[in-house]
Amino acid sequence: MRELPPVNLDLVAEALQRFLAEELRACGLQRYVLGLSGGIDSALAAALAVRAVGPDRLEALALPGPTSSRTSLENARLVADQLGIRLGVVDLAEAGRVTAAALGIGEDRLRFGNLMARLRMIALFDRARRAGALVLGTSNKSEILLGYSTLFGDSAASVQVLGDVWKTHIFQLGRRLALPRPVVEQPPSADLWPGQTDAGEMGFDYCDADPVLYWHHEGGMSHEALVEAGFAEPLVTAVLNAYRRNRFKWRPTVIARVSSSCINVDRILPRNPR
Amino acid sequence: MTTTPENPDEVLIALAQIATCPAQLGHNLERHLAMLAQARAAGARLVVFPELSLSGYLVAHGVLELAMTADDVRLAPLYDASCEIAMLVGLPLREPDGRISNAALLLEGGGLRGVHRKLYLPTYGMFDEGRYFVPGPGLQPLECSLGRFGVLICEDAWHLSSSVLLAQAGAEAFLVMAGGPTELDAGDEPAGGRRWHHLVGATAITAVRPVFFANRCGWEEGILFGGRSWAVDARGRPLAAVAPAFDEALVTARYSRADAAFTRSLLPIPFMERSDLWRSALERGHA
Repeated sequence: MRELPPVNLDLVAEALQRFLAEELRACGLQRYVLGLSGGIDSALAAALAVRAVGPDRLEALALPGPTSSRTSLENARLVADQLGIRLGVVDLAEAGRVTAAALGIGEDRLRFGNLMARLRMIALFDRARRAGALVLGTSNKSEILLGYSTLFGDSAASVQVLGDVWKTHIFQLGRRLALPRPVVEQPPSADLWPGQTDAGEMGFDYCDADPVLYWHHEGGMSHEALVEAGFAEPLVTAVLNAYRRNRFKWRPTVIARVSSSCINVDRILPRNPR
Repeated sequence: MTTTPENPDEVLIALAQIATCPAQLGHNLERHLAMLAQARAAGARLVVFPELSLSGYLVAHGVLELAMTADDVRLAPLYDASCEIAMLVGLPLREPDGRISNAALLLEGGGLRGVHRKLYLPTYGMFDEGRYFVPGPGLQPLECSLGRFGVLICEDAWHLSSSVLLAQAGAEAFLVMAGGPTELDAGDEPAGGRRWHHLVGATAITAVRPVFFANRCGWEEGILFGGRSWAVDARGRPLAAVAPAFDEALVTARYSRADAAFTRSLLPIPFMERSDLWRSALERGHA
């Protein structure tokens, strides 16, 4: 069976922390804001940011909604305490209920989940505006490739420090950086409704999906070749279906080109000229 | 990481591994001047900077704003500094007819000693240089008071024919300016650094010339560059400590023109290139 190739965890951590420092320098800002969910992705992003710019230049926000679990907030506090960062709490429960009612969302869990993810995005960008900060994203490569995110919700950020890191390696990095055990060991969840888990929704675990994704996305292996190599056919089908179905999320918008100077097509320019 | 020449024939060549930023000329120029001062203090006579060291690498259509002519007033601090120390710098060069080259300028004594225009513009994978630059017309060594140098800009060095042609044209040593992106794997150093060191060694031993390799480090637009600047003699033996992967660094390496001349007389490998094979392949349309 083909596996996900290993990476040098220390080198990856060091490179990513330097990326975070350089992004602030290049754009002339001083701080990062991130949503600390109590999960491993945001805990790892926060740990890297603290290493990069220090605890005083990172502001963490817990953003509970009406159905968030209490454990999430407890785990976020564990992470904040360990890293020595301030943890603000913006309670989005009332905003979630009011907006859901205004939109007539009712019992539709998926719509409600998307709404909460986007309310969190609003809170983070608003805080970033106030603090003169960049929003530090916490999406990882596995969930981006599978499209397991809310467009303009959790996928919206100024920088995505973990966006090219497989979830399998996120777990390994979390252990290497000695993040709190409950955070590393809990099943991944967006915590958008009680009992929600990523695996429950997608039908597979990241650690099973990652080798399939790697050998398809990077190794160029087809569905047939993956099954022939020993991966279970239902797993390959489910993973590759998500990979194709959600690809539109990789590029969140498309501009209709009607001139010869279309932005990001005819004119691709550095983001921070000075 | 500095060394001092031990005999009068030797000079020190410095490799200025800097982290440039795309479209931030002021920042990049400041990094050049800091490295030049450091190189002077170390006793170096020539400083080699990475590819597109003044503009940054991932400038894309930004070359339209950033391209300069060789006599652009913004380069004046470098021309001034070249009165004290020679340098090889990289920039998008605006040609008289409006085209833009990915170029290297050799400055010395307050003047321009030569220009190399990148021949091979990678336009595959993550690279898109063919979209923004025109390829250089040919290969000729550049000359300054320290000798005749073959200049190779990044991808130029991935075609070993470049170093053979430069050797045949009289190059005594190679100055390789790189903007080498890298990925990270299970190794103890970035994968790009490993590949470059194979290439630097292969270039040195097949063309029988010392190689001075200046790579950039740092991040641009989410892309990591691999550093690990280095120098080897004509037999592939290290002339300098390897620069780190992630940090800016100035590395100095001894260069003996006499040693290089002796070794290439002993091992005239580039002059044994079977150009007749190339010619017949060209005639058959296979090359």
